[in-house]
Amino acid sequence: MLKLTNLTKKFGTFTAVNNINLEINAGDFFGFLGQNGAGKTTTIKMITGLYAPTNGTVQIGGYDIQKNHIEAKKLIGYIPDQPFLYEKLTGKEFLFFCGGLYKIEKYKLKNKIDETIDQLKIEQWVDKRTEEYSQGMKQRIAIASALLHNPNLLVVDEPMVGLDPQSALVVKNVLKQKASEGVAIFMSTHSLNVAEEVCSRIGMIKDGQMIFEDKKEVVEEIIGTDHQNLESLFLQMTK
Amino acid sequence: MSPLLHILKFKILTFIKLQDELNFKSLLKQLSASVVYLLFAIGIFFFTRNIINYLMEDVKIGMFLLHRFVFVVLFIFFMTVNIGNIVVSYSTFFKTREVGFLLTMPISFAKIFLIKFFDNFFYSSSTLLLMVSAALAGYTSYFGLPWYFIPLAVVFLILPFMFIAGTLGAITLLVIMRFAATFGIKKVLVTIASAYGTAVILFYNFSSPVQLVTKVFEYFPNINNYFGFLESPAIKLLPNHWVADALYWISSGRFIAAGWYIYLLIVVSILFFLFSLYLAKKWFYKAWLVFLNLSGELSVKKKSKGTVTCTFENKSSLKPRREALVKRELLLFIREPSQWTHFIIMLFLITIFILSISNIDVMILNAYNIYLKTLIYLIIYLFNVFLIASMSLRFIFPLVSLEGETIWKIRSAPLNYKKLMLTRLFIYFSVIFVIGQLLNFVSNYQFSIMLTLISQLNTALVTITLVSLNFGMGAAYANYKEKNPIRVASSQGASLTFLFTIIYLVFLVVLLFAPLTNYFYAMDKGSFASLSQLLYTSLILGMISFIVAYLSISKGVRLFTKDI
Repeated sequence: MLKLTNLTKKFGTFTAVNNINLEINAGDFFGFLGQNGAGKTTTIKMITGLYAPTNGTVQIGGYDIQKNHIEAKKLIGYIPDQPFLYEKLTGKEFLFFCGGLYKIEKYKLKNKIDETIDQLKIEQWVDKRTEEYSQGMKQRIAIASALLHNPNLLVVDEPMVGLDPQSALVVKNVLKQKASEGVAIFMSTHSLNVAEEVCSRIGMIKDGQMIFEDKKEVVEEIIGTDHQNLESLFLQMTK
Repeated sequence: MSPLLHILKFKILTFIKLQDELNFKSLLKQLSASVVYLLFAIGIFFFTRNIINYLMEDVKIGMFLLHRFVFVVLFIFFMTVNIGNIVVSYSTFFKTREVGFLLTMPISFAKIFLIKFFDNFFYSSSTLLLMVSAALAGYTSYFGLPWYFIPLAVVFLILPFMFIAGTLGAITLLVIMRFAATFGIKKVLVTIASAYGTAVILFYNFSSPVQLVTKVFEYFPNINNYFGFLESPAIKLLPNHWVADALYWISSGRFIAAGWYIYLLIVVSILFFLFSLYLAKKWFYKAWLVFLNLSGELSVKKKSKGTVTCTFENKSSLKPRREALVKRELLLFIREPSQWTHFIIMLFLITIFILSISNIDVMILNAYNIYLKTLIYLIIYLFNVFLIASMSLRFIFPLVSLEGETIWKIRSAPLNYKKLMLTRLFIYFSVIFVIGQLLNFVSNYQFSIMLTLISQLNTALVTITLVSLNFGMGAAYANYKEKNPIRVASSQGASLTFLFTIIYLVFLVVLLFAPLTNYFYAMDKGSFASLSQLLYTSLILGMISFIVAYLSISKGVRLFTKDI
């Protein structure tokens, strides 16, 4: 579903992402770990078409995001860490707006919105203007908007930032369910316990380079032999 | 529904909901704003009608020269809309989070451009459109045209004209960004700025207003005839010429002759629009990437350079708190491209203005009657004040809003807010003050020392008034969520401030007209030119500036401390 080939991004002389190769298939839940400034968000922005790679390609469902961006974007659901919402629209209006951008028919969209509202437990404040929302509420609306068109790939940047424990649980469950339904998930996170709990594959990036990438079982094996948990492995590898 | 219509529908919905929940306070605020807009429109209406009346009946310039005057005013208007669109488009196209959001959606780049272009065009040009409509009403009234001429002229003359200026602005920006990738942003900006400077100089060379006046008056008293044959063919290619000529023929009752210019305006505006769409399809995404690369490169340079003159590590003779504020202000200014580029553009315009008025005193002294002398002097003076007002609106109005996301630190620090704000205000005021004094000196130094001194004093008082007004209004309409100073400076509150400024400009005309006419009259007769009347104007301006400064600053500081 997602294929990164020799992906590189330079800003002037600074290399933010250096030659990353990665393939994520349907149903994979990929946890992308790294310190601040390691290159996680830059990678995500290249995947979603916000940045153009200096070298290499990003393919989504076989479409190159640079060459065929509309077809590629139809397959992606993107949840940024600081989601943009129109402040004067209510959460529900924003969902209708996003659904329209993916050309979802109105009756299907209405059902899908109701379903998503229920799934993310946002019915209490979905009819309020988003300017009144807390960070957690905004995050859940952004997640809902990314699920409306049944994407094949979910790209999630720091989904747990600002979420209370209840919200975090809801988000984790939704993401796990999507992965079980065959959606490929690319999630960048600092919450190592979340990555440990939900991801089927783990990758670590440091100074723009992928320094580790494998299945969760392999990670667990390494943890079992040399480390207590993912946190100590992560700290060791990114030292 | 196509994605474009879909997005526009929601944009309109957002616009309708722009105001806060209805309550007495917000309703009163809206009502007051509407009243000010209405009064302003009425003011422009009477001002235009009286100025046409004055030019036609007192100065007796005739129909043709009146419309050449309109032609020059429209050129300034065109450049204002055009440069305004370049500057505001930069932030609307590339700096808003909405574009980042839309780029992750399956929408073509041309459509994103289109949405943001309309957003930008109507956002930044609505106040100007109101001004022009009111001026058109004054024009209609003077020439006794039917009332429906106003909406028709707005739709078929003014909107296409503004649209050409706006699309040209967007095209210029796309060209700047596209070529910045190949040649570097500095080279491209210098080239574009030189091209604009050359265009302005060529405009004045080709149109040569003074020569035209002399040539037309050779045909006196038949000065209402059409003297297009006296003009350079080059200027007939300009859209402001088409609008001015269309108005000339309409007011002369020859509507068919005006039709050709209306047709030209509409066709050219459509062609410009289609061309901008074509460029957007090819270059919008590339331009976005160039913007990102520029930001990235700038941040990398900052990291690698490490030391700059204005670093916090350096010793300073200022007290710690003042040092912190001054250095923060300077660093934030020079590291925000939209701040310093806009400042450079304004300095560039001021330089062009200074160069073009270096001999204005000679022109005034040679003018054929005292009314024309007063008129030219007042136009130059008002342009000086307008530049001061523009700088105040652009750099002072956003001051309070720009505290933005750091307001938690300021509000939780043991600070005297008044001192804080006055320190910040003083930094910008000093720069604007010096520019205002320089402008005034250049346009006055060939007159008597006393007139120059009084004018310097008046300009100083006007600067204090405008800076204070912008500060107070900026605090009253503060938007702490907006990080972009250009957006703050083109918000509803800023438009309202602009309207107050225009009212103040009209007040200046009323205040200065009689004393100046008397002064030039005395000079003309070779008798003693008393300056006492001009000194009274300084006294009145001084009182106004004291009242505005006191109210604005005290209110501004109080508003800064309210709950957010």
